[in-house]
Amino acid sequence: MNMTKLLKLSIFFSLAFWGLINFLNAEPFESTYTPLPSQNIIIRNANIYDGEGNELLNTDLLIKDRKIAAIGNDLPVTDDFEVIDASGKWVTPGIIDIHSHMGVYPAPGVRTSSDGNEATSPVTADVWAEHSIWVQDPQYTLALSGGVTAFHVLPGSANLIGGRGVTVKNLQRNTINSMKFPNAPHSLKMACGENPKRVYGNRQQAPSTRMGNIAGYRKAWIEAEGYLNRLNEYESKSDEAKEMGYKPTRDLELDTLAGVLRGEILVHNHCYRADEMASMIDVAKEFGYKITAFHHGVEAYKIADLLAENNICGALWADWWGFKHEAYDMVQANIAIVDQARGGTGCAIVHSDDAIGIQHLNQEASKALSAGLRAGYDISKARAMNWITSNPAKAAGIYDQTGSLKVGKNADVVIWSKNPFSVYALAETVFIDGGLAYDRESGFYPSSDFDVGIINSNKNRLEE
Amino acid sequence: MFTKIFKTFLCLVFISSLFADTTLIKNATIYDGFKNIPFEGNILIENGTIKRISSANMQADFVIDASGMIVTPGIIGTDTNIGIVEIGALSVTRDDSSEIYSIGFSIHDAFNPKSTLIPWNRSNGVTSALSLPQNTSSPIGGLGSYFLLDGELDITSNKDIVMIGNVGGSSNKSRAETFAVMDDLLSFASSINARDLSSDSDIAELIEGSTIADFMELHPRDVKALFKLVNDNLPLIISTHRASDILKLIELKEKYSLNLIIKGAQDASLVASQIAESNTPLIINPINNIPGSFDELASNIEMASRLEKKGIDIMFNTPRSHNFHLVRQGAGVAVANGMSYEAALKAITSTPANVFNIEQRGEIKTGYFADIVIWDADPLEPSSMPEYVFINGKVIDLTTRSSRLRDRYTTQPEKPNTYRN
Repeated sequence: MNMTKLLKLSIFFSLAFWGLINFLNAEPFESTYTPLPSQNIIIRNANIYDGEGNELLNTDLLIKDRKIAAIGNDLPVTDDFEVIDASGKWVTPGIIDIHSHMGVYPAPGVRTSSDGNEATSPVTADVWAEHSIWVQDPQYTLALSGGVTAFHVLPGSANLIGGRGVTVKNLQRNTINSMKFPNAPHSLKMACGENPKRVYGNRQQAPSTRMGNIAGYRKAWIEAEGYLNRLNEYESKSDEAKEMGYKPTRDLELDTLAGVLRGEILVHNHCYRADEMASMIDVAKEFGYKITAFHHGVEAYKIADLLAENNICGALWADWWGFKHEAYDMVQANIAIVDQARGGTGCAIVHSDDAIGIQHLNQEASKALSAGLRAGYDISKARAMNWITSNPAKAAGIYDQTGSLKVGKNADVVIWSKNPFSVYALAETVFIDGGLAYDRESGFYPSSDFDVGIINSNKNRLEE
Repeated sequence: MFTKIFKTFLCLVFISSLFADTTLIKNATIYDGFKNIPFEGNILIENGTIKRISSANMQADFVIDASGMIVTPGIIGTDTNIGIVEIGALSVTRDDSSEIYSIGFSIHDAFNPKSTLIPWNRSNGVTSALSLPQNTSSPIGGLGSYFLLDGELDITSNKDIVMIGNVGGSSNKSRAETFAVMDDLLSFASSINARDLSSDSDIAELIEGSTIADFMELHPRDVKALFKLVNDNLPLIISTHRASDILKLIELKEKYSLNLIIKGAQDASLVASQIAESNTPLIINPINNIPGSFDELASNIEMASRLEKKGIDIMFNTPRSHNFHLVRQGAGVAVANGMSYEAALKAITSTPANVFNIEQRGEIKTGYFADIVIWDADPLEPSSMPEYVFINGKVIDLTTRSSRLRDRYTTQPEKPNTYRN
């Protein structure tokens, strides 16, 4: 055997070895998403809200190789581009909902597929929402007709720590991995207040009070700190020392919590009351993690500055209130107040938590905006558009890929019949990664398997 | 500052209107809840009622120039629990269920005119509401009342003007049983003579003599309510969705000459002709296109528009009474999806008044009570708000707990927040 052969062989083996290592280290449940067929498109003469706070009237938008390629006037294109005349129409980035339970609480809402709350223990950081998602939920296509191109699915709020959330593309597929948004981080759902203390208090177990809630989070984080220390300690050892000892046994629950402490998993915290949100910020500081967003936050306006100072988004409703005591102090300007905090550095998001609301996030933003204007704030529609596009994209950790019509980003684009801040505006055409996902006029939309033949065997559910 | 000036302004308006015998809303674009096209005109209000509607100029103590503004009748909240539920998940604030009565349970005497839902909803254009109990243990049962949302402790109401009921998919019994119980109850009700109700002991005898009444352990109140249902043409709102259930209810309506209204009715498009033929009005939530159960598979965002084309009387509801005013958003969505603007507006004003026999309300018409809203823009745009709300001709103060909390956190930064107004 000559040297060249030996070298080749050793290269082969080392490559095979690395391949094996990579295979072993590969994250389970990785996205296998592939986009819809696409072509290059020029949308002419559109009025655009770009999701970055800008309004561009009578402007062209160019989609090439599934990306936003250019925005401007009289953009030159070659013959192979499909031309869409959007005169008098409006174009926005795809709408993103940061709080959805589609798939985990699908329609029809029946016991057999209600899989959103693992309400068997107050801390269930080991469960992942994506393993509950029913991919045939007929609600995705309804959200698509409202311009929603991506959404973040969370476990419910029965638990202090409810498990991992997942961001998906609004493209119905027959496995969840093929819907998962590529390279989107996981999230962790936490919940304050009435829900966990009611669920467990009713069973005569902890937590039954708000102080019990806080103790519950802290105990979980103390465990996570210990786990992370053991992992770090092991990783810092020399190879010889590693061989001598044992690698700490994996713990699914603590894997998730350690992921938060490492900054890899984003915390989304259901929390209504201002005083509780403030306490949760202290818990986060005690253990060195960051809260990405408070969800529901009916009282966020009371601590809007504190949220802005800590770079925490408020993912909020325009006007829901009164269904619980902790949702009693509703102010319609809540979203605007959070947005305008500390000189307009606040992060406001309009979320739905509702399969009807997700179809009309543009209207929800419109209500929140008009309440802000009535409260005396000077907020443009273009800025309010950020509340349902770029801000939720940031909170989901996918802003580098979508959430605004920036050159180079994914071509997730909605063409609206009218200004989307009007109740009469309809999403006419929706592109996801440059692929046509929905077209109102031609009746092009996905149907789930559930929709097939369920009322009349020769039709799909939504066909008249 | 803006808020302060606005408040002072409102205060002045409020005070001047209190002392005004006559109010004139001039140059308004009027949707009167009856005609199919809006018209320009002036509305003269005197002693709480609409005295005159005219294009001619009129004199009044208090004049509002409504140029460029839309004026509509006050919204009537069909299907709410306003005044009987303060906080949904807090049972001590709920008065919408009974442990003793089923058919004859009335929520009327629980109504709280000081509920925070009232200023909030009326500042958003809802001037009166039908409040209904929860479904009772009987598939037909529970009485709803109609209330004026003026917030006065001396309440203005129409007591027990509607009975409710429901039928549909359930985990523990067949809907066939539900229909049989309904039929038995209605048959029992039809057999009652007024003279049998003269005393509680007479009624007790009636109950004993009826298998169904005895089995359901009815009380005299329940029997009286049943009698009223079949003899006084009391509107009966049954919640149901599935097409086959709707047809079954229409059969019962015809058999017992019921004044039937169907609520929910997510499958209604499948049986629209039969609904139209039987003159059965519907209460639907036009924004709800979710196939939320196996009974509602035909849910469709175009439902309101399809039903309108069949000539069905449509009213709108929304599941959350705290924001019942969002029925405007639902109406706007219905219009966006093919319904006519006028029909959508009638669905929240004149249609409920007609269906529930609420006299002299629901339209802007001479002689009617002046429940009127002047909007800052199109009322079916949820971003719009009322500039003025009149109930019985009185200008309503549009301050709400919510607007006070907003002001508390956006003004007076010089004071610690608990010392702010």
